[in-house]
Amino acid sequence: MKYVSGYTLWLVIFFVIPLIIILSFSFLEKTPYGGVNFSFSLEGYKSLLTIGYLKVFWRTVWISIISTLITVLLALPAAYYIAKSKFKNLLLILVVIPFWTNSLIRIYAWIFVLGNNGIINQFLRFIGLIDSHIQFLYNPWAVILVLVYTYLPYAIIPLYASIERLDNSIFEAALDLGCSKRKAFFKVLIPNIKTGLITSIIFVLIPAMGSYAIPDLVGGVNSKMIGNEIARQLTTAKNWPAASAISSVLTLITLLGVILFVRNSKKEVLN
Amino acid sequence: MLGSNVEIKNISKFFGDFQALDNVSLQVKKGEFFSLLGPSGCGKTTLLRIIAGLEQPDSGDVLFDNKSVINIPANKREVNTIFQNYALFPHLTVFENVAFSLRLKKISETEIKERVGKLLYLVRLEEHKNKKPSQLSGGQRQRVAIARALANEPKVLLLDEPVSALDAKLRQELLVELDNLHDQVGITFIYVTHDQAEAISVSDHVAVMNNGKIVQTGTPYEIYESPANNFVATFIGETNLMKAEVRETNEEFVRVFAKGIGEFECYKDKEVKKGDKILLTLRPEKIKISSKPLEGLNSFHGIVEEEIYMGYQTKYFVKLDEGYILKIYKQHVNYLLDEKIIHWKDEVFVSWNPNDSFIIEVEEN
Amino acid sequence: MNPGKFSRLITFLILIFFYIPIAVVVLFSFNASKSPVWVGFSLLWYKELFTNSYSIWKAFWNSIIVAISASFVATALGAFGAIGLYWGKFKGKDYIWIISYLPLIIPDIIIGVSLLIFFVFIKLRLSLFTIFIAHVTFSLPYALMIVFSRLQDFEYSIIEAAYDLGATEEIALFKVIIPISFPGILAAFFMSLTLSIDDFVITFFVAGPGSTTLPLKIYSMIRFGISPTINAISTLMLAGTIVISVFMRKYLKYIF
Ligand SMILES: Nc1ncnc2c1ncn2[C@@H]1O[C@H](COP(=O)(O)OP(=O)(O)OP(=O)(O)O)[C@@H](O)[C@H]1O
Ligand SMILES: [Mg+2]
Repeated sequence: MKYVSGYTLWLVIFFVIPLIIILSFSFLEKTPYGGVNFSFSLEGYKSLLTIGYLKVFWRTVWISIISTLITVLLALPAAYYIAKSKFKNLLLILVVIPFWTNSLIRIYAWIFVLGNNGIINQFLRFIGLIDSHIQFLYNPWAVILVLVYTYLPYAIIPLYASIERLDNSIFEAALDLGCSKRKAFFKVLIPNIKTGLITSIIFVLIPAMGSYAIPDLVGGVNSKMIGNEIARQLTTAKNWPAASAISSVLTLITLLGVILFVRNSKKEVLN
Repeated sequence: MLGSNVEIKNISKFFGDFQALDNVSLQVKKGEFFSLLGPSGCGKTTLLRIIAGLEQPDSGDVLFDNKSVINIPANKREVNTIFQNYALFPHLTVFENVAFSLRLKKISETEIKERVGKLLYLVRLEEHKNKKPSQLSGGQRQRVAIARALANEPKVLLLDEPVSALDAKLRQELLVELDNLHDQVGITFIYVTHDQAEAISVSDHVAVMNNGKIVQTGTPYEIYESPANNFVATFIGETNLMKAEVRETNEEFVRVFAKGIGEFECYKDKEVKKGDKILLTLRPEKIKISSKPLEGLNSFHGIVEEEIYMGYQTKYFVKLDEGYILKIYKQHVNYLLDEKIIHWKDEVFVSWNPNDSFIIEVEEN
Repeated sequence: MNPGKFSRLITFLILIFFYIPIAVVVLFSFNASKSPVWVGFSLLWYKELFTNSYSIWKAFWNSIIVAISASFVATALGAFGAIGLYWGKFKGKDYIWIISYLPLIIPDIIIGVSLLIFFVFIKLRLSLFTIFIAHVTFSLPYALMIVFSRLQDFEYSIIEAAYDLGATEEIALFKVIIPISFPGILAAFFMSLTLSIDDFVITFFVAGPGSTTLPLKIYSMIRFGISPTINAISTLMLAGTIVISVFMRKYLKYIF
């Protein structure tokens, strides 16, 4: 017990208590320059029910889901190929390098390529195809592109790990029993790598839901997400109860999502 | 003698609702090789761990040399264990594994070198002293575990199935080595196994366990030749079990009737009276098989149902006229010179001495 | 079953997708011109970075100070936590696991926001120290899980063997448990270092004036638009990452 006490104490003080604080602040009154008055109020939550907020929530959800779908659909065949490849060590390193690369640098790389002054626009200008620039960035699709780019390694690695652990003979058995390759993929591989699949979905969906830097740097005015809104309420609007309320709702959504998702997939595995 | 005697008094142990040990009592003499024998899951490891101090019993006492050690923690008890999986320290070399307990005692480096050297010589691992456990074979690991446990000069050595992870041939070799080692170091060995052949071949005394209880304690001879009950008789070696009813009794013998066999005599090793139902055991190697009936023995006629040639012996399954199938092992002394070779479907007589069967259970009338 | 052509194609497209933007950034860090049109090779921007960029270096050193100190604390607390969870028998283990998994599930931004409000609430001035606290907090569960999964590779009887041979609790800890979990502890330390140097979002909220870290500095530079100096920093950080990736690959199994 004594060995765990430092760890537990630290997490309780700097993780659990701050979470409780924002949950409580979301039910308090705001003061004009940040901070709260200690009297009960639902203003923080009421402000969430405006059209503008609902739109941001909805956008956050669909951008995250689409990015996750694309990411996992790409990650699955890649993880499978790497796990079965003769060069898996090399391929794995090639996936791991972007995983450890600073995410701002990876965002910057896309700004450098696709930005209004990026190399593509410069090149098009240089050969005289355009005068000013084509705006590739600053829309929801640019956000999705960079989300996929950022989180693809996070999806590939757990999938790779669970495919690697699988006994190859189960595929041979499936083929032997007359399964086509495609069928074996869906009927044998997928059910057997459920945990890897769940891990990789969670690893992509959750950071996407809470993303701040990506929509901030490559999204336009109409591709702001919840994360940007929380930051705005906290810093420029100085409305702590509203920031706390949005944060609480986001936390709740992700927690519920994860719990429901994990529970459902567990049931399916059991069936 | 360097060893201790060990006494276990009325030990019980529960894991939740499950009773792993039920009022177990045992006496182990100084310096003897004592085996705990029983099927998987019967509580052998649990009992051993209680002796080692790694587990506390719910009730009962453990005594070394007549002194209770129940309140002495594992690291202070004069007993060492060879774990079922050896539990070698993966980060230390063979030498350092063996030296582990010596280093805890602030013994000088030269003495440590000398003592570890001796132990490694004893288990024939001097050449491997700088290897890590992962670089050793199964048998070598086991020997490191032995040397490590002996380094502390314990009075009692506990061995939890130390050879079960090895192949059959190596198992035999190491068993002989263990036996020699026991003679050399002279301390008390308590040896856990689920293999009856192992227990019988090396031990001075054997305790047979089943479902958390001791069912019989005795020398290997006693356990094999006069099993206390059905469980012991079938668990140790192979046997023919026969249900019979007592017809007549006299001073030494009983006349019984068994369905499928007929009437015959057996030794009265338990008090029985007319009309009692009894269970008899008869070892297959005690039965003679011949083409003519033998005088003065219980003798029945039958046909060879099956014949399995094993090299050193042949196993016969003989169906008696009344229907009972009897197992018979015939040792080959002079295979081709034995009177007449008996084959499948031959008509034969099976005979045994009334002294060779034992009454293991009695159901009074 | 061997993978088909389809998965091979996807894999190679993904690798191209991964590396083209990075490669372009690296290439143009050696460009002689400020605008992203190739005019010729030069080390101009590296020279600029090494001579003329006081604030970048300050941010870099801030990052290093925070990363090393936070990783030490997180690794120590996390390793002891893992040892306690592996070794001890006590009630409430489940709750410790829950508060360990929560930070991994909850989005970073929530951790940043809640810590910011917490620090302001207890009137702790935002500084490198608050960044240090935040970094220890988000590294802790990773450190715990890495060391724990290393310990799980060993059967518990190894600890009993130590006791059996006469070891006290301290000796079992220092002579057996810590040495065998050492690769895990090392992995936890490097994982914490990387997480700390990499973090932008949480740091963004808990940083105060004068406590800019390297990612914060890069962020503010990116907001001003593209510049070859950023390409040069990116290239150097990438080189560091490649070294770490090769080194950390064999420890990755403790993370997933
Ligand atoms: N820590 C424990 N918690 C709960 N049950 C246990 C525990 N340890 C042992 N048991 C149970 O107690 C019984 C006896 O276990 P034990 O390990 O003593 O068996 P064993 O005779 O050594 O078997 P084997 O030959 O397979 O090693 C088993 O049914 C086992 O499941
Ligand atoms: Mg056992």
